[in-house]
Amino acid sequence: MTLDRRRFLQLAATGMVAGLTTSACAQDTSEHARELNKPALLEMLGPERTREIGTQYRAAMPSENTAAALRDAISTSRHRQFPWILHKSIEEQVRDDFAAGRTVVVSGWILSETEARQCALYSLSV
Amino acid sequence: MHTDARTLENGSVIQGDLCIVGAGAAGISIAREWANSPLSVVLLEGGGFDLEPAMQDLYRGEIVGQPYFPLEAARLHFFGGTTGHWAGYCSTYDPIDFETRPWVPHSGWPIRREELDPFYARAQPILDLGPYEYDAEYWVKRDKELEPFPLDRNKVWPKMWQFSPPTRFGTKYRDAIVNARSVHLYTHANVCEVEANEAQSAVDGLRVRMFDGKEHRVKARCYVLACCSMQNARLLLASNRRATAGIGNAHDLVGRYFMEHLEIPSGELVLAKPQSTKTKMYEIDYGVTKARAELALTAQVQKEHGILNGTASLERGVLGEQVQSTFQFLPPELLKATMAWEKGGKVGPSPLSISLPPAATAVQQAAPRVFHLMTRQEQAPNPNSRVTLSTEKDAMGMPRVKFDWQLTELDKRSIRTYYKLLGQEMGRTGLGRVQLRDWLLSDDRTWPSFISGGWHHMGTTRMHADPKQGVVDANCRVHGIGNLYVAGAAVYPTAGAANPTLTLVALSLRLSDYLRTKLT
Repeated sequence: MTLDRRRFLQLAATGMVAGLTTSACAQDTSEHARELNKPALLEMLGPERTREIGTQYRAAMPSENTAAALRDAISTSRHRQFPWILHKSIEEQVRDDFAAGRTVVVSGWILSETEARQCALYSLSV
Repeated sequence: MHTDARTLENGSVIQGDLCIVGAGAAGISIAREWANSPLSVVLLEGGGFDLEPAMQDLYRGEIVGQPYFPLEAARLHFFGGTTGHWAGYCSTYDPIDFETRPWVPHSGWPIRREELDPFYARAQPILDLGPYEYDAEYWVKRDKELEPFPLDRNKVWPKMWQFSPPTRFGTKYRDAIVNARSVHLYTHANVCEVEANEAQSAVDGLRVRMFDGKEHRVKARCYVLACCSMQNARLLLASNRRATAGIGNAHDLVGRYFMEHLEIPSGELVLAKPQSTKTKMYEIDYGVTKARAELALTAQVQKEHGILNGTASLERGVLGEQVQSTFQFLPPELLKATMAWEKGGKVGPSPLSISLPPAATAVQQAAPRVFHLMTRQEQAPNPNSRVTLSTEKDAMGMPRVKFDWQLTELDKRSIRTYYKLLGQEMGRTGLGRVQLRDWLLSDDRTWPSFISGGWHHMGTTRMHADPKQGVVDANCRVHGIGNLYVAGAAVYPTAGAANPTLTLVALSLRLSDYLRTKLT
């Protein structure tokens, strides 16, 4: 589901937005769960380097050292970005991170915060 | 005309209207302009037409700062100068290189880029380059395979380079110089002193010395020092009989602000979609490619982040392999072997191709995914990066060079910032990811043992309108000395992102035009 900003504001004015938001988030969770565990970096760098990046990220961010914490951080970041109701793929979220300068350096790699967390998730899953 | 100065009687006097010291790219470029002049030009070259170990040894020096390449191997002391082993990489300096940048101490040229444009155009054929076109679109129109990465042009732009064959001045221009009606070339004529008049306001003459102790004097109306940044500084500093600090050194500037281009492996680029990403624009097939691009940050981005100008070039490779810096890649023995191979008619594979790392020769896949990112960045002008005189003397009795190459935090921070911004842009566009090399992850004061330049010696007699801030003025005349000029990269106030040769030839042509107005 996609929604442009004008339509969103119209719906908000008629009080329909709360329901839509809930619906979008539910769909979001189900559709992206698989994506989360499969960072695009896997194809670029291979499983070993991706796992290493993930491990390093978790070591540097002890508060995100569990799968739940990582998913939560990705989700929080996702819904922090306006327009937060839009259905965004993880790929789009990653690009948005880069555009906004939400990057981290892990093992020398300049990564979006989202994909660094994806790597961390991956490192927990293998 | 040509005379081997060793054949002259001791105490000979050589006379001309203009005397050029040094027959490298700068000196020969100027001399060619005067070939049919009604005025007479004396061109002095310390070496002969072939490399001689004893001559090269005169360039040996003491290295006390950052590790550096052996000085006697970095520059060539014979007719043609260091064009005898240069690689032929040419590009223009960018307009921002000439500007005073508040975030770059001591930056700013007393001339603008536009003033050099006509001379750049004239320099192109001298270096056997193509048309004076450094706009990416020009080259893209001529080769459909060339496609710039779809990056935001307000941030990252394709800086174009052209490649000289490379022109060996010693070979290509030997006959033209020797047969020039108005130019008299003297080889084995090492200048050991610039003699100032009593008032130290003009040069009276030059003293030329042979290994056997013979000396000659050279008298001219104007003198141009064109024997490279280190040797120009050495000669001026050592000419201290009347001016105790050396000629042109009233403000302790001669020898300071030595600059190099930092050429060092700095990162990796991994493409997300190698099958659909065209990379030819950024690659070089040495000896075949006429022009290619390097990735540069725009002037606006440099300003926003307070960083120096620089580029990254792409070299195919594999992740995790060792990548060599320029100095590591081309040790003195290999340089020597390559010159011998060229001189011998290029029979068999070049020593260079034999020594190439496996990645450079083996990775020939159609759609490479990994590229090493090689930095080429200006060094910030730094008064503490300098050439002074050693207590050791060479075989001519001249003090050797004492070389203290010093870098600043701005140099390293600029490289790191460059790659972070490039990485963000690569990620934003989905083109790929960038990795910083380990040495960039440490603090800004430490440099790796493999720190490298490109044998690009610049500065030491920098150009500035104010005598307290520069050795030469905008016309390359030494402040306070009416008839002494400096040609070559020694006058650069800042190093620019591009290799120096094209710009130094352009500046030499500009100086030549100026001298014509002075002498005629």
